[in-house]
Order: sequence, then structure tokens, then C-alpha cells
Amino acid sequence: MKEKLGKLGQSARQSMARGSRWARAHKLRITVLAIVFALIAPRPAKTQFLDPCCAIMQAGLASISSALSHVIGGGLNSVLSTDQGIHSFQQTVVWPQASITHAQGLVGTLRGLFSQTESLIHTPVASATLPSTQQLENILLSRNANQIPNTTSSYTVVYGSVPSQTNAPQNVRNMIDMNDAVAQDAMKRAISIDNLADLELQAASQINQSIQTAAPGSAPIIEAQADAWLVRSNAYTQAALADLMRVQAVDLASAGTGVKTGATNASSLQQKIQQMLQPR
Amino acid sequence: MNAVFFLLFSWGMVRARTRHQVLALALVGVTGAAIVAQPSITYAQGMIGAIENVLNLINGDIHTALNGINSVRSAMRSLYQTVAFPTQLINQARAQVSAMTNQFRNPMRSIFNISLTSATLPETQALESVMRNHETSDFSTLASNYHSVFGLPISQTVASPQDRVMVDMDDALAKDNLKTLKEIDAAGQTMLSMADQIEDGASTAAPGSAPFLTATAVATSIQNQALTQKMIAAELRQVAGRLAHSNALRKQGTTYTNQFGGSIQKMLQPH
Repeated sequence: MKEKLGKLGQSARQSMARGSRWARAHKLRITVLAIVFALIAPRPAKTQFLDPCCAIMQAGLASISSALSHVIGGGLNSVLSTDQGIHSFQQTVVWPQASITHAQGLVGTLRGLFSQTESLIHTPVASATLPSTQQLENILLSRNANQIPNTTSSYTVVYGSVPSQTNAPQNVRNMIDMNDAVAQDAMKRAISIDNLADLELQAASQINQSIQTAAPGSAPIIEAQADAWLVRSNAYTQAALADLMRVQAVDLASAGTGVKTGATNASSLQQKIQQMLQPR
Repeated sequence: MNAVFFLLFSWGMVRARTRHQVLALALVGVTGAAIVAQPSITYAQGMIGAIENVLNLINGDIHTALNGINSVRSAMRSLYQTVAFPTQLINQARAQVSAMTNQFRNPMRSIFNISLTSATLPETQALESVMRNHETSDFSTLASNYHSVFGLPISQTVASPQDRVMVDMDDALAKDNLKTLKEIDAAGQTMLSMADQIEDGASTAAPGSAPFLTATAVATSIQNQALTQKMIAAELRQVAGRLAHSNALRKQGTTYTNQFGGSIQKMLQPH
């Protein structure tokens, strides 16, 4: 081991001696290498006072800061000022919270009044005294469209049925059947329109409730829905008016038929009397 | 990068054989090193350029953009204040609502409340009064007053069952409608009160609160329409009842005619 270490040390001393001799023989090359190494060797950090880059950076950052402060800061302040003006205008003129709260309160008051109205118009009005008329009246005032199929039987009990073929001429039977039909149609329409009116009252109440909790931006949506309901309601009213006009038209037609029948009967009677008075 | 350059340069210097090769390598090496050793100057020039770029950006594009945003926001404010929601016109609209309220409400109320009663006899006056009093708690009074004017229901002894039924139905439909009209009258008063309140609300409303009032006014219109439908339904019942009554008389007429014809035929038959 000692021998190996001794040989290694001897070899290193010989190499250093050879290198030293080479360096002494090539001074120029060593000088050039030293210069190049000095040029490209890593440098220490630059100081704030001696390095011109730091001064440039400092001046540049100061310029940037000044620009940020004046150009961007000033511009943003102008935008902020304008936005504050808009915000204030909207809060005090367009959407003042007090007015919105007041309007919502008013809607609540109207809902209360409307509940009163609903209870008023649902006060019972039935007045018939006999069993058969009470049954028909109950159906007519039921406000329940499911009762419509029961109308005809109760109607017939009160107002009678169409005479049989043996009891009346065909034209009279036709007129009676038409009048009964239109009268029953009108009664059925009255039941359905009462039912629809109740549903509309419920819908209106729900709409009012929605308005009370709406925002100014959502209220127009509810208003649009209410408008649609109003259009629908107008259509139902028109349907009811149409049935009313039909009843009145058929009533008028019946009166005309009465005159026609009377004239025909009078003419027929006259002919029969003449026939009776003729000598045989 | 520098280390690789130095190693290659060192290897070249050691391996150079002639003095000319050493000088050439030295020239190349020193020139290359000088170029590599210039970063501080280049770095400074780059920093100045970058700062100038940032300043140009701030003073140019950003400044222009901020000016543009501010112009748009100012235009929006002007649009709000002078076109969409001019305060003067808002106040004018409120004043108009108040002026119309003062102009029309009381005169219309006075016209609507003019007494229309016309009966001259005690019984009819009582019935007329109860018919028109807008109350829904006196239906029994209405019924008794009705019968004192239009007669009591027919008893079994003085009329046929069919006549009794028809008369009872006629009376029932008439009384039903008179009661319904009292309800509608009362509801109409409430509707008028609601209209007044909505109008009062409009006189102090802001553009942002008016949608609540318009929406509730539409909802109230639906309720109004429903009441109108209830009246039409009552009218339908009444008109249908009247037609059914006249038709029932016609049916009775055919029965009586048949009975009369049968009786005459019996009389004319030879005994």
C-alpha cells in the first residue's frame, strides 16, 4: 500500500515538473489563456453606485411609476368619477330603494283588498225552495265544470222535455228542441265561465304575490305574464258574450216563429171555415 | 457556454505547433472573449428599450383606451340623464298624474254616486234600496222584500206542480242575480279603491318602481275581467231561464192543444 502511494506521489511530482517546464517554454500561450479567462470568467454582482445599469433602471422605473400614476391612475379616477355619478343617478332617480319598497307595500295592500273581493263574490246566493229547482240551481251556481254533464237531466225535470211526435207538429218540436238546446248551452257556459273566472282570480292573486317579491328588473316579466292572462281572460269574456248573444238571437227567432205559426194557423182556420160554410 | 468556449480555446492553444498558429488562436480567442464580455452594455441598451416600450404602452395604447372608456361612460351618463330618464320629464309625468287625479277623480266619483233610486211605494222603495246598497250581509232582507213586491211562491193548492216549479225557478234565478249584483257592486267599490291607490302610487313612483304598479294594475285588470265574467254568467243564467220558461209554456201549449182536440173529438162523437 505504502509502495503504491509512493509511486503515485512520484508520478505526480514528475507531471508537475513537466507542466512547469512546458509553461516556461510557452509563456505567450499562457498569457493569452489568462487574458481570455479573465474576459469570460463570471463577474461579481454590480453595485448600485458604480453600475450604470442600476441608474438607468432606477430612472426607467421612476418614469413608469410616474406614467402609471398620471396616465393610468388619472384615467381610472375619471372613469370612477363618471361611474359614481351614474351609480348615484340610478340610486336616487331611476331605482330609489324607498320608491321600490313603497310600490311593493302598495302591491301587498292591493292583495289584501283583493282577498276581500274574492270572499265577497263567493257569498252564497242560492234561493230556490223546491227540491227540483234547488237541484238545478245548485248545478248552475256550482262554479264547477264537472257539473256540466248533470245539467240536462235537472233542466228537463224543471222545464219538461220535447213533446213526442204524436203530441206536436214537427216544426213546433224543432223550435222547442232548439230553444231547450240554446238555453242549456247558455247554462253550461255560465257554469264554465264561473269556473274559469275563479281560476283567473287565483292566477291574479298569485301574480300579485309574485310582484310583491319581484325586483324592478323582473317585474316586467311578471307583467308580461299578467298581460297574457288578461288577453286570455278577454277571450273567455268574448266566448261568454257570444253565448249570451246566441240565446237572445234564438229568443228573437222564437218570437218570429210564433208570429209565423200564428199566421199559418189563422190561414188554415179560415180555409177550413170556408170549406165548412160551403153548400154541399 | 463560456466554459465550453474556454475549454475548446485552451485545447487549441495547447495543441498549436507553430508561433503563427498561437498568434491566430490568440486573436480569435481575445476577439471572441471581448464579444462575450460585452453583456453589461447590451443589457443596459435592452433595458432602456424595454422601459421605453412600457412607457410607450402606457402613454399610448393604455392612455388612449382609458380615454375611450371614460368617453363611453360619460356618454352613457349623458344618455341616462338626458334621454332615458331625464329628471325633468320624470317630475313632469308625476305632476301630470297628480293633476289628472285632481281633475277627474272627485267629479267622476260624484257622478258615479248619484242616487238612481226611483220607486215611489213603500214596498218597492224597500226592495230598490236593498237591491242597490252594495251590501252582502242582507240577502234575507232582499228575499223578503222581493216576495213582498213580486208575490210569494205559489202553494200546492192553487197551481199545478209544473207551474210551481217554473215559478220557483224564475224567482230563484231573479233573486240569485240580484244577490250576485250586490256582490259585484261591493266588489266594484273595492276595484275603484284599488284603482285610486295605484294612481296615487304612480304619482310618486320612480322609473324603477313603476313596473311594480303596472304589473299589479294588469293583475287587477284580470280580476276585473273575472268579475265581468261572473256578471255575464249570471246574465246567461237569467236569459237562458227566460227562454226555457217560454219554451216550457210552449210545451204546455202543445199538451193543452192535444187535450183540447181530444175533448172536442169526444164531444163530436155520436153517442
